[in-house]
Parts: sequence; C-alpha cells; structure tokens
Amino acid sequence: MATGVRRKSKIKPPKKYGPDVSIDETWSELSTNIREILNRDNVTNMSFEVNHRHAYNMVLFKAGDRLYNGTKQIVAGRLQELAQSDVIPSFPASASGDPTTRNQENEVLLKVVKRIWDDHTSNMSKLGQILKYMDRYYTKSAEVPETWEFGLDLFLKNIIRSPIKEHLITAVLNQLEFEREGYMINRSAVKGCVEIFLSLFPSAGGPSVYKGELEPALLKETEMFYRNLGQTLRDTCDAPEYLRRVESRFMSEEERTQHYLSRHSASSLQQILKEYLVTAHLEATISKESGLDAMIDTNKVEDLTRLYKLYTLVPKGLDCIKQALKKSIARRGKDINEASSAIESADEPSEEPKEKGKIRVVTAGAQTLASALKWVQDVLDLKDKFDGVWKVAFETDREIEVTLNEAFSSFINSNDKCAEYISLFIDDNLKRGLKGKSDADIDLALDKTIIIFRYLAEQDVFERYYKTHLAKRLINGRSVSDDAERGMLAKLKVECGYQYTQKLEGMFNDMKISADHMEDYKKHIASSITLPIEVSVIVMTSTFWPMSHSAATCTLPEVMLKATKSFEQFYMKKHTGRRLTWQLTLGSADVRVMFKNRKHDLNVSTFALVILLLFEDVEEGGFLTYEEIKQATSIEDSELQRHLQSLACAKYKVLKKHPPGRDVSTSDSFSFNSGFTSNLQKIKIGTVSSKVETGEERKETRDRIDEERRHQTEACIVRIMKDRKHMTHNDLVNEVTRLLSTRFKPNPMKIKQRIEGLIEREYLERCEDRKSYNYLA
Amino acid sequence: MDIDTQTEVEPHTTSQGDIENGEDWVRLVSNDGFSFLVRRKVANMSGTIGNSLDPSSSYAESETKTYHATNDRGIIVQKLIEYMSFKAHYSKAKGDVPINELMERIPPEIVLEVLLAADYHEL
Repeated sequence: MATGVRRKSKIKPPKKYGPDVSIDETWSELSTNIREILNRDNVTNMSFEVNHRHAYNMVLFKAGDRLYNGTKQIVAGRLQELAQSDVIPSFPASASGDPTTRNQENEVLLKVVKRIWDDHTSNMSKLGQILKYMDRYYTKSAEVPETWEFGLDLFLKNIIRSPIKEHLITAVLNQLEFEREGYMINRSAVKGCVEIFLSLFPSAGGPSVYKGELEPALLKETEMFYRNLGQTLRDTCDAPEYLRRVESRFMSEEERTQHYLSRHSASSLQQILKEYLVTAHLEATISKESGLDAMIDTNKVEDLTRLYKLYTLVPKGLDCIKQALKKSIARRGKDINEASSAIESADEPSEEPKEKGKIRVVTAGAQTLASALKWVQDVLDLKDKFDGVWKVAFETDREIEVTLNEAFSSFINSNDKCAEYISLFIDDNLKRGLKGKSDADIDLALDKTIIIFRYLAEQDVFERYYKTHLAKRLINGRSVSDDAERGMLAKLKVECGYQYTQKLEGMFNDMKISADHMEDYKKHIASSITLPIEVSVIVMTSTFWPMSHSAATCTLPEVMLKATKSFEQFYMKKHTGRRLTWQLTLGSADVRVMFKNRKHDLNVSTFALVILLLFEDVEEGGFLTYEEIKQATSIEDSELQRHLQSLACAKYKVLKKHPPGRDVSTSDSFSFNSGFTSNLQKIKIGTVSSKVETGEERKETRDRIDEERRHQTEACIVRIMKDRKHMTHNDLVNEVTRLLSTRFKPNPMKIKQRIEGLIEREYLERCEDRKSYNYLA
Repeated sequence: MDIDTQTEVEPHTTSQGDIENGEDWVRLVSNDGFSFLVRRKVANMSGTIGNSLDPSSSYAESETKTYHATNDRGIIVQKLIEYMSFKAHYSKAKGDVPINELMERIPPEIVLEVLLAADYHEL
C-alpha cells in the first residue's frame, strides 16, 4: 500500500472524523450495556458492533482511562454484590459437628463460588471481545493489565479474600478428609474450587493461590491424617491387611489428584504417604507375626508382591526386605541344620552305651544317609520356595537375588558336613533315585543340586567326596545311567573349569579302556587256556582314583591266583613298563554255594570269597578258628573282622560263629552253615560298612584335604612368584587368596606358613625390607 | 460486482459441522447497503467481525449471521474481504506469498480509508 501512496499525489481524506456523539453519552450507553452483560440479560438484542464501536471511539478520543477504570468499577461492584448476597450467606455454620451436614454445607459453598466464577469468566471474555480495541491500544500505552487479567485480579480481591478464602480452604480440606474417611463427596464441587485456585495468581509471576495457600494447608492436613492412620493401622491390622490398606490409599490419593486436585500435588502427596505409611512402619510391618515370614510360609504371593511394590517406593524399603529375608532364611536354614544334626546325635548316644556293635552303626549310617538326603532335599525345597517368591513377587530383583544367595550360602556353609551331604545326595540320586525318570527329570534334579553346589565355599572338599562316591559307583557298577553321570560331570566342568573334573574324567576313561581290555582278554582266553573262573578287571590309573595305594593284601587261593596271573601276563604284553597292583578290597565275586536245601548264588566281596573258599576243604560241621583263617588268608585284623562279621553275623548267615554274638573277636571260631535257607536264588552279601563317614574317617578326609590345600597353596604361590619375580607380602597373600577362593577359603596364616616353607626350600627369598619376597629360579 | 467472493448461490443447508469448520455463509453489509456473502472462515480473519459473529455469544450479529460495517462504504468492505480471502488462502500455504498481487488491486485513493477500516476490524 505504501508504494501506492507514494506514486499518486492525490489522496482523498477519509470521511468526517470526530465523535458523532459526546464521550459522556457514549460511556453512559456503554456502561449500561456492560452492566447488562454482567447481569446476563437482554444480551440477544444487543449489537456487538455498536458496543465495540463505542469502546473504539472512547479509546480513539482519549477517554481510554475512563473506559478502563469505569469498566473495572462496574465489575468490582458486581462481584462485591455477589459476595454479599450469595457467598457469605452460604458459609457453613462453623459449630456444626455432624459430618454429613457439614459435607452438604461445604458443597453448597463450593458450588456457589464455582458458579460465580463460571459466570465471571464468561462475562470477562465477553467484555474482552467488546473491549478488544482498548486491550490492543490503551492498555499497552497505559501499561495496565488487559481486560481478562484485571478480571482475574478483581475476582481475587473481591471473592477470594478473607474470610471467604479461609472458608473455602477449610471447606476443601473438610471435603477431602470426609472422603478419606470413606464417605462419598461431590468431587466436581471440589474440583471447581481447586480450578479457581489454580488459575489465580496473587502476585505477578508468583505461585497460584493453590500452590501458595491451599497446597501447604492440604499437605499439612494430609500429613496429620496419615500419621494417625499409620499408627492405627499398624496397631489394628496384620501385615497383609496393612499392606492392602496402604496400597489402596496410594491408589485413592493418586486418583484424587487426577480427578480433582492438581497434578502438581501428586508427588508431594505420594511422598507423605511413603513417609508415614511405608517408611515409618517398615520394620514393624515386616517383622509382624503375620509379616514376611508368615507370607512366605503360606505362599501369599499377592501379599508379597504388594510388599515388594510398596517397599521399593522408599529408599530404605529394599534394605528392609533384604534384612528380613536374610533373617528368615537364616532361621529356616538353622532349623534344617539342626534337624539334620538332631537325627545324627540322637543315634550316637544310643549306640555307644549299649555296645550293640556294628549293626547299630549300619542303621546309624543309614539314618545319617537319610539325614543327609533330607538335608539336601530340605535345602532344595527352601531354595525352590524362595526362588518362586523371588520370581513372582519380587520381580526377579537383582539385589534381592544377591541377598538370597548370600543367605543361602551362609547357612549352607555353616553346616560343616554340607559338602559330604551334597555329594551323598548326588550319589543317592545317581544310584537309585533317578531310575525310571526321564532325561529331562534327571537334568532338572542335577541342575538343582548344582545350585546348592554353587553356594559351597569349600568346593575342594566336595570334589574329594564326589570322587570317592563316584569311584564306588563305577567299581561296583551301581550307577543308574552313564549319561546321567556324564551330565553331572559336564555340569561340574561348567561350574569349576577343566581342572576340577580332569581326574573325574580320567576315571571314566579308565572304565572305558578297561572294558575294551576285557573284551580283548576274553578273546585271548578263548584262544588259549581255559581258566576255572572268569575274571573281570578294571585297570585304574592310580593318580585319578581316590583309593589308598597301600591296599590290604591277602593270600589268594590257587584258582584265583592263576586268573590274576593270566590277566597280568596279557596286560603286560600289551603295555610294557606298567605296574599292576591288585586292589582286592574293591572287588567282588559271584559264587555258587551248595547248601543242604538248594544252591544259592552269592555275591560277596573278594575277601569274603577267599574266606569262603577256605571252608570248601573243611568237612561238614568242621570249625576254623579265627587264627587259622587269619593265617591262611593273611588279611589284616580289621578287614578280616569286617568280612567275617558280614558273613556270620549280618542278615544272611552263611557261616556260623561260635560262640554266637554280634562282634567278632580273635578267640571265635567259625563253621559253614549248611542249613542256610533263603527265598532268593541270588543273594548279595554286603560288606559291613558305613556310608557316611565316622568321626575318624572324617578327620582323615579332613587331613587329606588340608594336605591337598597345602600343595595347592604352594603351587599357587610359586606360580604367582614365577610370573612377578618380586612381590610384597600383602600383595602376595591377597593374590593367592583371590586365586584360591574358587576352590576354598584360604586362611592367611596358612598361606604365610606355606611361604615360609617355600623360603626354607629356597624357592623364595626374603628381601631386605622384610616385607617382600623374591623368586629364586 | 463481479468478484469471487460475491455469490448469488446460498447453500440450502447449514450443518453444525460447517459452522465449526467455518464453511457456512455469513453476510457482511456496508453502510451504503452493499451485501457480501462470505464463508465464516474468511470472516474470522478479522478479529472484530469474528467475535461479533461468534456462535457461542448471543449478540444480535451472531443471531442473524449478519455484520453491519456501519462506518465503511461498499468499496472499502470489498477490499477488506479481498484481503481476508487472500489471508485465509495464504495463511496456511507454504512457499512464497504473492503480496504484490493484492497491493496492485487497492486504488491509492482509498488507501487511507482501507487502512483505518483494517485497524478497526483487527486485520
């Protein structure tokens, strides 16, 4: 347009300009109309354009301030009128005690104010339209608030003022409390009032009335309410009920902020809830009689989930759960440990004073085995239980997992027989428990055992027991399935590495090679001489197998000697330079014995066979004294007594002892019991032995383990020093501890002893500072 | 008057949706009796006209869907409407706005008058 103006010189002036009517007249007309708009009548007949033009004219002809202040006055007057006529009469009668009446009164007040607010805002927006020209020009130059803003300001000054404001706040708080007590209130009434408070700002840029005045009062009130509620609930409810109530409070408060309170208050309110309902009663709730322990006992997953959710809301909650879990597991673990040791100790006193002999030991042993199995099973059950709870209720929380593991590990290791028990459990499972189960079941059972195994601090102890048990299974052919055995081995390998299972695998290898050898040997036998007895040999590499090397010997009868010699020759032909040592204690024999009534196939140990064979030459009813037997067989006293006992005093009495009795003494004599009867064709005569170690055996195992540990520690020290050449004492001890901790918990004192031993043997030398060592190549 | 905004055809029905979308027709009348039918969305380009025709208010203008421009001649109202149509068309458009096209259509003689009217109508 500007270019157009410049080009053409003639510009027609616009039509006459100047007020057609006087300002006074304009204002009187306009002010009447404004009043009409405020009173909300007659608006339909009013022309927008006329009023707009009036306002336009007044601004244009320098009467803006008159228009502005006049309008303000009219609006303020109107609001004051309303406050007097509508609001104040609806104040609640303050003395009224009845909550329901008070509720209704509050509602009335809130509704009145809300109605006035709605009318006011709609009026102000209408005025805003008419006075648009004023807002665009006059308010800017005069630097005063626009129509809408002064509308809010007037409302604040004339309606939201003392004492109306206080009454409103009290009304809102009362309504809130009323609802918290569990009654229904008119939420929209409260919501209306809250919205008014939210949109009014007493000072420019400052907080809203809600933030500045209602919220602090609200929070204070909430705090009081929940502090009391927390106390009451704690004293009156059991733990699950308490948690349920608390959870529903959380939800109702959340809902409240969504429905009629400001969202800004949500976090503050939740904070109060957390503080007074959760944090304040953490310990009290969880350690109630109906607390965590009981919930776990009764498997109340829902309650536990709730517990977890609520407790993780506050910083201390998780720790509290962890503590409680630890305590719970420790207590249960202690029970399990005590139960198992109670079974054992219950037997021991009854055994000793009665002097009933070794048969008692057998039952005691069986009982101990049962207690071992029960212990492991109990631990597994407990683990399953807590795992279930952990998965479902605790959302597989990592921190809780760590706590669980710690707790389990500590109580498992507090049972000093744990390694043996676990190995026995596996042994038992592989021997008979797994029969008829599917591969998947086997895998599952073994996996579970591995879980407990992981908790073991002294895995080398376990290895020793496992080796012994495995050897027995292999030699006696008691293992149910080779696959299961190998599966277990593979699992151990995964857990502890190649070295751990190296010897165990060696044992398996020996078994396989021996089987091949036997086939070859049988072919060899078939092609040459025929022997009176069949022989089956397992060649065991001495370093792999946990058997003692100084095996008990005995003089073999001619037939057996021949057989062994024949195999030895065969074997030596194949492998020169090897030495075979016969481990007769581990062998067994099948022999057919002719009794008076019928023939029986007896399965006996090699030694027992040797003893039995002695009676072959004794005539019917003849005796052999203990001494004679000993001389003929040259078996050691303890072994001989053991085998005689199993032949003459156990369930199947193949020999007769004179005089009869449970114990075998050196003055006894024996005769063949030709009158022996049994329903079974095949009879297995087990050698009397206990499965769980006796005290002495345990000490021996312990010693052996200690020795092994000494070697390992030394090897470890040398390995480290060879690598580093020079190291301070503390560093060395730390490093050794770190490396060995996968196998057992090394004692720093012991490590120090080993270092000294190595210095003596000149592997290491002390440096001059007396604190560090050098490696001597 | 042979400009685009004037039309003899008045749509026979007006639905609520049309009002909301500004697709219904409103009438603007100049002080010398010229009457213009424009779509509501075009009229809404002026704050003053838009407010007066606001369906939620109950002024005489919105009841009759007629706005009287009591201070302006037909030619001025026409130019206002031309600009309002132009603004309605291009305010959502991307790219260049051909400002010159509109400027050339305003005769210099009435420029001041148009300017005053534009100020009054919040354009």
